[in-house]
Amino acid sequence: MPNNLPEIIEQVKLSLGAFVPEISLSALFLLVITLDMVLNEKRVVIPMVSLVGFVITGFFTWQQLDMPNQEYFLRMHVVDPFAVFFKFLFLGAGALAVLITMDSEELGEKNVANIGEYYAVLIAMVLGMFLMASASDMLMMFLALELVSISSYILTGYLKHQIKSSEASLKYIIYGAVSSGLMVYGMSLIYGLTGQTNIYEIAKFISANEVDEVTLTLAALLVMGGFGYKIGAVPFHFWSPDVYEGAPTPVTAFLSVGSKAAGFAMLIRFFKVAIPAEPTGELAFDWVNFFALIALVSMLLGNFAAIWQSNVKRMLAYSSIAHAGYLLLGVLVADDLGTQAVMFYLAAYTVMTVGAFYVVILIANKIGSDDVNDYRGLGKRMPLTAAALTVFLVSLTGLPPTVGFIGKYMIFTALLGKGTVFLTLAIIGVLTSAVSLYYYFKIPLNMYLRESEDGAETPMESSAFANALAAFLMILTIGFGLFFTPLANFAKNSVIMLVMN
Amino acid sequence: MGQEISEFGKVFLFLAVGVIFVVLGFVTSRLIRPHRPYTEKLTTYECGEEPKGSAWVQFNIRFYVVALIFIIFDVEVLFLYPWATIFKQVGGYALAVALVFLGVLTLGLIYEWKKGYINWVVPTPNIPKMPTKKFEKPKSLEKPKVAEPETTA
Repeated sequence: MPNNLPEIIEQVKLSLGAFVPEISLSALFLLVITLDMVLNEKRVVIPMVSLVGFVITGFFTWQQLDMPNQEYFLRMHVVDPFAVFFKFLFLGAGALAVLITMDSEELGEKNVANIGEYYAVLIAMVLGMFLMASASDMLMMFLALELVSISSYILTGYLKHQIKSSEASLKYIIYGAVSSGLMVYGMSLIYGLTGQTNIYEIAKFISANEVDEVTLTLAALLVMGGFGYKIGAVPFHFWSPDVYEGAPTPVTAFLSVGSKAAGFAMLIRFFKVAIPAEPTGELAFDWVNFFALIALVSMLLGNFAAIWQSNVKRMLAYSSIAHAGYLLLGVLVADDLGTQAVMFYLAAYTVMTVGAFYVVILIANKIGSDDVNDYRGLGKRMPLTAAALTVFLVSLTGLPPTVGFIGKYMIFTALLGKGTVFLTLAIIGVLTSAVSLYYYFKIPLNMYLRESEDGAETPMESSAFANALAAFLMILTIGFGLFFTPLANFAKNSVIMLVMN
Repeated sequence: MGQEISEFGKVFLFLAVGVIFVVLGFVTSRLIRPHRPYTEKLTTYECGEEPKGSAWVQFNIRFYVVALIFIIFDVEVLFLYPWATIFKQVGGYALAVALVFLGVLTLGLIYEWKKGYINWVVPTPNIPKMPTKKFEKPKSLEKPKVAEPETTA
């Protein structure tokens, strides 16, 4: 760590070279708000500019693949394959969010006068996620988390004139403030114990010195409060059903994939680096059992509570809690196989969840409802859309030949051969997946096997663009389920994290 | 004793002394002061003015917007001050960095301006009329309040 000013400046200058994707996103943000000021017709231009910006950022991110694993900005920011994988994931989720927003009536001209800001905030949120995946210092982690959180509060409450949206936003802010507070308290305890904020230095200190175990456990639990809120795991899940239901559906889709993936990226980096499960023999803090408990409760509560939901968005919210449980199973294995499975599953989850929400948007555009009972007879009226939704739900359940099946398969196999506790968790995971089959298939049941009350059979197909996008996501879901090797290999190569230097 | 106080110990001492000082002050004055209250003494002190109504009134949202904008520029000063102290040592690079920072802030200000967030639009006052007859509802209460139109450009 340089101490004198010229050296610090020199290091910051050098670090800028590793910050190009983030700079590109910031420039895109500024460009979008400038366009928002000068243009009159924004509904087509701004999303297009955002998409092009995401592609350019993707190019810069791609160039980071060959960069050496190193810390930048005075050990605040780290560039490694792990971060790059997640950056691609966030860009993909962001681009899909932009695409599905363009088609949403909820955010259409009738309801929202000023859509330019929406895209700007969305870009800011992607930037925050980039920083979350790369943060290697507790201060930077908190800052990045807050950037993502504040952007998501704004997006959740974007339908200003709808009480539900405002209520969701307010609830989200209150839960968010509490869990951020808990996390900062935990971080301050860790700083008090070790005198370090950099996660690698914390790991070094913990393995070299004796720290108070009770305090460290408490601190790690508190930090987990902040992460658990972002990923929507059980004791911190209370916000998600209301927020998912109240937020505009494209925002719900982006929250459920983007925020969750960013939370997992930060959680994996923090717990695998700062408090490693096997430092040199003795565990400093046994977070594996703690995660096992959270994962277990998340899977059970998420899947069983979803059974009673009739609002599709709410049902998907509970299903996303359950998915946080499955993903935590991969995290708690704490070896490369588990982490690889989590990364693959997050990519798979992005495709299928955005697809499911997109179809929900298309249906809501036509019938104006998110209720499962209003989906009756849609199989005849919107054949392609209904087929796409069925495929996404099959994938979310985890049945072959979809990408969801491969994801679950990878997570459960990572758990095998590690002991009875892990085996039991894997079995419970499979059993709760079977429960999820019940509530997911309520939707196809209504669409195909039940007649609508008024007996309407007039076809209501969406625009060609909408059909193409739904079909594209459907093909991705099945395609990655059949030819999963490239994605799995990419995840495998990206597991290499910056280990202690 | 002979043991050094740690940094956290100093903070704790500071907090403890602070709490004791206040509590001790209040308790002693409570014990020795005379207690002769009257109405004038018990009213809230508002800079010598007579207090009117409850303090729980709703403030115009624009106050918050202005406060928010003020904070942004307040923070700007906070960042520029340390920058100014090392400017001579670093030179051109520092100037470029500060210009980017100020450029972003200025763009934000222009955005607010253009979108009309700093226009102090005076909302039309909604004064309820006194009822002419007994038990008659004032007209302004019958109609639901129409939402204020957006002030976007």
